[in-house]
Order: sequence, then structure tokens, then C-alpha cells
Amino acid sequence: MLATFLSSTPVLQDSWRLCSLANTAATVVTDHVRGVAYVAFPGTVMPSGGANLVALDAAPDGLFPPLQQRQHEDPPMIHAAIVDHFRSFYTSTTFHNQILAEIDKSKAVVMTGHSMGGAVASLSALWLLSYLQSITSSLPVLCITFGSPLLGNDSFLRAILRERWAGNFCHVVSNHDFIPRLFLAPLPSLSAHHAHFVLQFWQLLMNVLQSDSETAKIFGFLLPYIQGWVANMEEECVKSPFSPFGNYLFFSEEGAVCVDDAAAAGKMLELMFTKASPGSSIEDHLKYGDYTEKASWQLLMRKSFTLGEPPESSYEAGLALAVQSCGLANQESISGPAKECLKMAKRVNRLSPHLNAANLSIILSKNVPYRTQIEWYKASCDKSDDQMGYYDSFKLRGASKKGAKINMNRCLLAGFWDNVIHMLESNQLPHDFLKREKWVNASHFYKLLVEPLDIADYYRTGMHLTHGHYLKNGREERYEIFDRWWKGREVGNEENNRRTTHASLTQDSCFWARVEEARDWLDQIRSESDMRRSAMLWQDIENFERYATRLVENKEVSMDVLAKNSSFTLLMEELQDLKSKSQQFPPQFPAFLNGEMVP
Amino acid sequence: MGETVGNLIGLNDEVIHPAATLAVEAHNSQSKQFLVKKIKIRHDHSSVVVLAFSGSMFPDDWLGQPPFGKTKIDTGKFPSLTSLNDGGDAVVNGSFLGRFNGVLDKLSHDKELKKAIEKKRQVVFSGYSSAGPIAILATLYFLENRTLSPRCLTFGSPLLGDRIFGHALRREGWSDYFTHFVMKYDIIPRIMLSPSSTEHAQILNYFKSKFDRKNINPAPPSGFYLTVMGNASSVASYEACHLMGCRNPSLDIIKSFIELSPYRPSGTYVFCTGNGNLLVVKNPNAVLQILIHCTELGESNTAEVEKRSLDEHSAYLSELKECLGMQAVVSLDGGPATATLNDLGLSPQAMLCLQAAEEFENRRSRNLEKIGKYLEKIEVELEMLRKYKENAQISGLGYYDSFKLQNEDDDFRANVRRLELAGMWDEIKEMLKEFELPDEFEKKREIIDLGTKYRRLVEPLDIANFYRHSKDKETGAYVIGGGPRPKRYRFTQRWLEHQEKKPFGSRSESLFWADVEQLGIDIKKKGYLQEIKDRIHQLERNMIAWIDVDKSLDKDVLLEKTTFVKWWRDLPIECKSESERIEKLIGEKAAGV
Repeated sequence: MLATFLSSTPVLQDSWRLCSLANTAATVVTDHVRGVAYVAFPGTVMPSGGANLVALDAAPDGLFPPLQQRQHEDPPMIHAAIVDHFRSFYTSTTFHNQILAEIDKSKAVVMTGHSMGGAVASLSALWLLSYLQSITSSLPVLCITFGSPLLGNDSFLRAILRERWAGNFCHVVSNHDFIPRLFLAPLPSLSAHHAHFVLQFWQLLMNVLQSDSETAKIFGFLLPYIQGWVANMEEECVKSPFSPFGNYLFFSEEGAVCVDDAAAAGKMLELMFTKASPGSSIEDHLKYGDYTEKASWQLLMRKSFTLGEPPESSYEAGLALAVQSCGLANQESISGPAKECLKMAKRVNRLSPHLNAANLSIILSKNVPYRTQIEWYKASCDKSDDQMGYYDSFKLRGASKKGAKINMNRCLLAGFWDNVIHMLESNQLPHDFLKREKWVNASHFYKLLVEPLDIADYYRTGMHLTHGHYLKNGREERYEIFDRWWKGREVGNEENNRRTTHASLTQDSCFWARVEEARDWLDQIRSESDMRRSAMLWQDIENFERYATRLVENKEVSMDVLAKNSSFTLLMEELQDLKSKSQQFPPQFPAFLNGEMVP
Repeated sequence: MGETVGNLIGLNDEVIHPAATLAVEAHNSQSKQFLVKKIKIRHDHSSVVVLAFSGSMFPDDWLGQPPFGKTKIDTGKFPSLTSLNDGGDAVVNGSFLGRFNGVLDKLSHDKELKKAIEKKRQVVFSGYSSAGPIAILATLYFLENRTLSPRCLTFGSPLLGDRIFGHALRREGWSDYFTHFVMKYDIIPRIMLSPSSTEHAQILNYFKSKFDRKNINPAPPSGFYLTVMGNASSVASYEACHLMGCRNPSLDIIKSFIELSPYRPSGTYVFCTGNGNLLVVKNPNAVLQILIHCTELGESNTAEVEKRSLDEHSAYLSELKECLGMQAVVSLDGGPATATLNDLGLSPQAMLCLQAAEEFENRRSRNLEKIGKYLEKIEVELEMLRKYKENAQISGLGYYDSFKLQNEDDDFRANVRRLELAGMWDEIKEMLKEFELPDEFEKKREIIDLGTKYRRLVEPLDIANFYRHSKDKETGAYVIGGGPRPKRYRFTQRWLEHQEKKPFGSRSESLFWADVEQLGIDIKKKGYLQEIKDRIHQLERNMIAWIDVDKSLDKDVLLEKTTFVKWWRDLPIECKSESERIEKLIGEKAAGV
């Protein structure tokens, strides 16, 4: 159904119109239709470079910061030559200005391109998405490619899924078009045994748009090879490193199908290709105009089952219709696997994202008692006679039952929130989830309350000795994600509230980690003999001091920080002590330790 | 069989054809804004008064501002046409609304209509083509006023309102009063699903000249069909994606790139299949799918269908005569109506969409069952909190302050209860927002009562928690605009206000503590400005009304040790306006305990 919706909208036709223009002009072409900016990249410009993968981190000088490699994962890799090609656009000064100017005057942006231009459009869209994320803009971006080659590996796909950007990409692939299938054959073997293919590959890619007979000959050579690979995919253990990402919209003579699952899309690329001939493969690479136009009327044309008895359930009927739309219904050998494949793509989930979100509030309410117990714990620690505050109480806790219980709660809550993040990243929650104040607030308060305990536990168990300090090495990823959510929320009419009383929770959840680091520096200074090193340490400590002072003066710390025996107070006293002993630094202390601020 | 159209739509069969005839006549009448006619019903000798409106085929009378001429409905005239859960007011076509406003004055002073109301006769508002929306609005206007309970019949009417409009109609239980007859290929009922365009003007101008000069047949326009129906089919396939539970995020991303028509069908639709059969459909999602899919091009070519789409708009009278004579009626909601659906020529894909529409309704009923179980749990929890409140009163502190201090184990347990309740109400809220519960849900008495009870008892605890943690520093004051006040309280308050026909924001007794707390904070910050004094006076007046008049606020706020009493007694005397009465209330409370 999504395919029908997509093709009934004018977006596809407008994109293709502009792509043809870009191809003819061989430059980037932009246009405005009803407030939407269209940017089309030409498919006729020749890239240079080899056909191998490069790691994303190394490649484009951090063009896509959100897609960086994560721990314990393979690095996201993309096609080297395509990145180079993209960079040739990117580094030209007009590119930036052109695109940023378009953004300013439009309510939405479509990046599009045919063939090679499609791959460049994908990268541009990724760059734009990264850029928009950095300025927390929610301008809608859509990337529509026509017959674009595959771009990146499996980690690349996962990185995009994690950012929930997959939905912004729609790759249109016509029936037998060979370009999107080109990299299904594994590259290493391509370059090793068929060196001449690689040499002629780019030549081919360019010439194909002019459709001369020479290319047809080369291609006739190449096609059986790819098809052979595709057919034997099951047996061969070497798999292509490339993986599709985003939505794939397959056009056939019979209709259209939209697939968003990467594995299913890959399989469909293979299946629909099995009956291709050299002629049809090249022709289909050029025929997108026809396909898009025909598809736009698709819904108005009546379709009926062409073969067999009517299916039993509506689910089966839906599948049969989808197979027919791929134009595979009459091909006995393929229609079976195609059906399986589409079934996989549909993977009926009983709950819609909205109901998932609704259900999640129930689970949240079940988890909330854990949080309230921690709040309770904090309050009781803050009031207790030892005046340590809950950070230190938790850090130095003995074998008390209470402490263990709180520690348990801390772990349970972590599990809950990790699950929320997982659901979000795997697209099980509504698109506007992060616009809901309830969740952003809840995650924020969770972070403020529980992260100090995590820090306490980190230093309590001595992790910092083996792994380094918390801030750089120990911080759980979820807190960073929550930071982003909190920063990205829509800030309303924020009056500049001066706090009159102390915050109930310290507003910087990493405060204690900074305290621990400062303590470490202080210890180092004592034993440091090298003047230069020690001066640097002093610099760090002063920075910390300024930071802490600001927080305290703005009353953004909670009472426990200023408790008489908290490690912060102790640290400050020690620091003052050390400073007064050392003559080279004139004392420059704010008044906050003179007693009246300490309760 | 045995069912007649009349039975299914709750109106005597003898009324339908005369109403259609009058509607067509009135539509072309230039001089009068509406025509009135009394129809005698043969078998019980009662009479029905039909009132039909005139229409206009000027393109400007159809679409004011491109692309869709959207206008928020005037909630002064139509207070019910709004969402009770943040969905905003209903949106209608502004041009039609404007034309209705133009006729309203004359309508409300019409003698024959007054007489019909006096004699308690059944009134039917009827409209053909562009007069259809006027008839709908007139019917709604009288339904809102409760002066009479009219019916509405339209023939080939364009769409008028959006999804909220239909939702509000069903919520109020009015949906069954509206019946729309639509011919299989008629373009007009579908035209509003497509944005305003030259094609629109072409079609309307064609009809205009056709109606104006009855003898000359103007040349029909051509080439509009694919554009108009193409856009309309976008709407249908978008909705079908939702019905089928499509989870692909692209769906909504793409939606932001195009402008889909906001208009959706509402009320009961009767489709004339073209061979004498009638199909009655009440499920609005199914109506939309049938509207689009039954026009699918089969073997016949586009030009032919294009011509039929125009011709059928002026063929209602003859077609209805035939259909009403045969009474071959099938209701889609009564079960599988495959034969009739085949008459409409629906493809397998269309059948799938219809099944999805039906399944969506089933899902809503299932959700309602699930919520039913919650309601029991909510009752139990509320009872526990009520006991907590009683105990807190005995201690002399009141439960607000006792909860805010969180000194006892009981306070802690109450906090956990509060959060469990919040989870359940939030789930209900989430489902309502996504239309996952039946439309009447927010109109059910027991639901509103439970919501009110919950709000009055638990919201003070939320406020206590909010100010206990000084969350106002992070998110701003509790009540301000779209501020941090949880939506579950906003909704439940809105339900009650709607039921009592009171303006939005008038039932804010559960916000009493938030007002007190915020005033305290603002006084510290700004001192006793005039604005603050006004707010104090307002608070005092509200409090007296809530406590004394409608008893919606419990007297435990008057306990001597509460935040309120302490704060209020500390106020300088010139800031108080109801000093004596409140002191008296406090005294009474103290004596009572």
C-alpha cells in the first residue's frame, strides 16, 4: 500500500523530471515546487577512483558525525569512489551556499539523482541530516534515487537505522535495471579475477546513459557474471559486503512494491533480476520516466488476479497481490521465494508504534517505584547525621541492605531505559516520540537522579584505575542519548528563572564525575615535581573550580553537594588548604565556603 | 432482505424521493435561499417538513483559499465540533461555512420552520450538490441548540469536514442523522479530496452553465479526471496504509512533502451501484475507500469514465426513483455484502482496504474491553488513596502537605499509587489520541465521572510532587499554557467541561494547589504587584465557589496547618478581598474536626 501511496504523490514525478534535467545539464539542478526544494544530482559526471570500501570515519573528514563507529561494532564503510565523487561536489563552495539557501526558503527538501547521481544524492542527504541534527532543526528531508548503485556495508545500514533515518530514503528500482545489482557480486573477486571489469566499470556506468553499442557488448559480458553470482549466492560463502538501506520501491510492468527491510530488499533485488537480459537491463536503467508516470495512475486501474484460485485469508491475498505487483506471478520458480521474502518484509507486528508507546507508559509506571525508592534514599541520606549526601553515602556504603536494594533498583531502571532506547532505534515507537514532553522529562529526571549513583559505583569498584576516568571511559551510552533528547526538546517560553532555593537534583548529572577527576588532579599535583605538568594541572583545577562555583552560585546543585562531609566540600577545603600553602597562586576564592552557604 | 433504506437510516422511505426532488429544485433556484415543503406520510398520517437549500456553482463559492480552503469551525455556534483530547477544533471548508452563515439569519426567522418546531414535526434538511454542506451545517446548528432533532439528506454533496469533524459527530451520537446519497461515478463527492486547481474550475464552470441554461448542453471538459482522482487516491492509499498498520516511518515523512486533503467522509453513505442496488455504509474509513476504489478504471477507457463522472452528477432523481422502487438494499456493516460490492466493481486490493477498515473498528472494540479492566483497577486504587486522604486529615496536616513532606511510609506508598494510576491514564490518553478507542468513549458518563474523581483526588498529589522537587525551575510553572501539567488531567477536565457545556478552563478546581504554590513563588519574586493582587482575589473567589457552592474542592484545604492557610494568613490585609468569609470557613473546619 505504501508503494501505491508513494507513486500516487507528485513527489516521484517531480524528482524524476529534475533528474533528467540534471543529467542533460551535467550539473546540480535545483527547483521549487509548492514550497518544497528539489536538488537533483547528475548521473553523467565521471568519478575517479577504485571500487573498494573505505571506513566512514576515515573517509570524509567527519562529514557524518552521527554515523560514527560504535564500540564492539565493525566500522561503517562506504564506497570509496562514490565518496570521492561526493566530495568533489561537497568541496565546491557553491554546493554549500546553494543548499543552505534552499533550506532557508523551503519547508522541505528532496535530494534526488539518477544512477551515480542517486548515490551522491544519498550522501548529500546524509550530510544534510547530520547538519540539521547539529542545529536541531526538524526540516523534513527526503532522498529519492533512481537506479542508484549500492552504497555501504552492513554497519552503515545499522548506523542509519539507529539514527532513524532509513525512512528518509527511497530507492526506486525498475524491473531489470542492472546498476542497483552491480555490487551484489562481491568486490574482492571482481577486482582480483576480472580486473578489466573494474577498469571499464566506470566507463560503462557513464556510457550506458548514452546507450552505445560498445557498452552493450561489454555489458553482455558482465551480466551473466552478476547473474551467476546472484544465482549461486546461497552456496558461495563469500557474500557481498554491500547492503541496501532505506526503502526500496520496485517497479515492474504490473505495479509497484515497497520494501523497507534490508535483507528482504536485497533478496528482491536478486529475484527480480533473474529473468533479465542485457537489453532489458540497460533499457530499464533508462526508463524511469515511464515507470513513474504509469505508477501514478496505478490505483485508478483495476487489477484482478491473473491466475489460480482466490487466496484464503486477507493476509495471503495481500501477499499474492504484492507478488503480482512485482511482475513475478507468472514465473513459477521465483514467485514462491518472492512470497517468502515479502512475508519477511511485512513481519506483522501485533502492536502499532502508538500502542507500543501507550503500553510503555504502563511499564514506566511499574518501574517508577524503583525510582521513588531512590529518591527516598536520597532524601534520607541528605538528612542523616553523617552529612555526606547521597553520592558519598552510596559510594562508601557498607553491606547495608538498603544500599544493596538501591543498587538493584539502579540496575533495573537501567534495563528499562535501555529497552526504551532499543525500541526507539528499532523503529517500534512513534515518529514523534521524542517530541513528547513526558518521555523527555522522565528520561532527564532519571538521568539526574541515577547517574550520580552510577558514577559512585564506578569509583567505588575502582573501575577508574583500570579503565580511566568515568567521563571519557565509563559513561553509559544511554546518558549521552538522553543528553541529546533533552537538548533537542522544544523549549517553550523559558523565563530566565533565577533559582531561589537549591535544585532538588544537581543539574549536571556528571558533576560528581568531574569532582572525582578534580580530586585526582589534586592528588597528582602533590606528587608532581615537573613544573610544566603541574601548571597544566592547576589550569584544569581552576577550570573545574570556576565551573563548580558557577553551579553553586546559580543554585543548580542540590543540597547534598554542599553537605558538610560530602566529597565536594572536602575537596574544596583541601584545595583551599593547598592553595594557601602554595605561594605562587594568590587565593581567589568565592565566598561560598565561608560557612553561610553550607547548611 | 426486507430492510429498506428508510429502516437503515431511520427515516420514512416516502420522504427520500420528494426530498431529493425539492433539493434539486432548490439548488437551481436563484431567488430563494431555501424552499420548504410539507410531506404527508401515508400510513401514519404524520407530516415531515423538508427544507432544501439553494446551491451555487461559482468556483469561489466552493474553495476560498487554495489549496483546500480550510477554516476552523466557529465553536461559538458549534461548541461540540472539537476534539476533547488536544486534537484541536474541527476544520471545515470555509466557503461552505460562509454560505451557511449567510443563510442562517433568514433560516432562524423562517415561519414555517418555527411552526414545525412548535408542532414537533420531523424536520429534514436537504441539499443537492453544493447545497449539501449547507444542509449538514444547518442540521448541526439545530442539534447543538437542542431546539429540534432534525435529519439531513444530501445528494451528490461534496465533502465538508475533516477527521475531527466526523469524530465529533460520532462522539455526540449524531452521525446517524446524516445520510448522503452518492452515485458510483459522480465526481463531485470526490472533488474535495483534491486540491484546488484549474481542473476544479473546469468542472464547476461546466455545471454552472449546464444548470443556468437548461436547454443548451455545454461541451464537457476533459482531461481533469486523472488529476482529480489521482490526488484523491493519494488520500485513500494514505489512509489505507494507516488502517493496515503500516509502520514504515517514510509514510509520515512523505506526507510532509505533499498536501493531502484534510476532508473525510462522515455520517451514513448510501451508494447507488448503477443497476438499482443500494449499498449502505456507516464506517467512515470504508466509505473513503469505496469512494475512491469504485471508480477504478476497468476495461473501459478514461474518456468514457470521465464523461460518466460528470453525467451522473445530474442523474440522482431518476436513479433514486429506480432504486427506491426496487429496495435492493444491502448494509456493509451487517456482514459480507460481496454481491453488491461486486456490483460496484471493487478490485481485490479494494476488498483488502475494506477488510482493514472493518478490522480497525474491531480493534477499537477490543481496546475498549482492555480499558474496561483498567477502570476497575483505577477504582480500587482511588479508594486506597481516599483512605490515605482521610488519615492525613486526622493528623491535621491535610493530605497535600503530608504528601509534600513525604515523611511517612504511607506517603511513599501513596506516591507509588499515584504513579501507577498515571500509567493507566496515560495509556488511555495515548489511545484516544490515536483514535484507538470508540468515538463515543469521551461521552460516557461513567468514564467522565471516574476521570473527574481521579483528577480531584490525585492531581493535588502531582502538584505536591512538582513543587516538592521545585520542578518549576526546570520547566516553568505547573499550569502555564502547554506547560508541564500532565495531559491526563487536561483531558479529564475537558470531558467534564464539555458534558456540562462550560467553557474550556472553567473546571480547574483540581489546580487549586498549583495556584497557591505559584502565587507564593511569584510574590517572593515580584512582590505585591497589582497583577498578583488580582490573582489572589480570583483565587479567593474561586475557592469559596468550589468549596461552598459546588463542593468540588474538599474542605481539608482549610486545615490550620496547611500550606494554604499559613500562606493566606501571612498575606497583607490589603491583598485579601474575602477575608471574613475565608476566616469563617477555616473556623468552621477547625470546629468540625
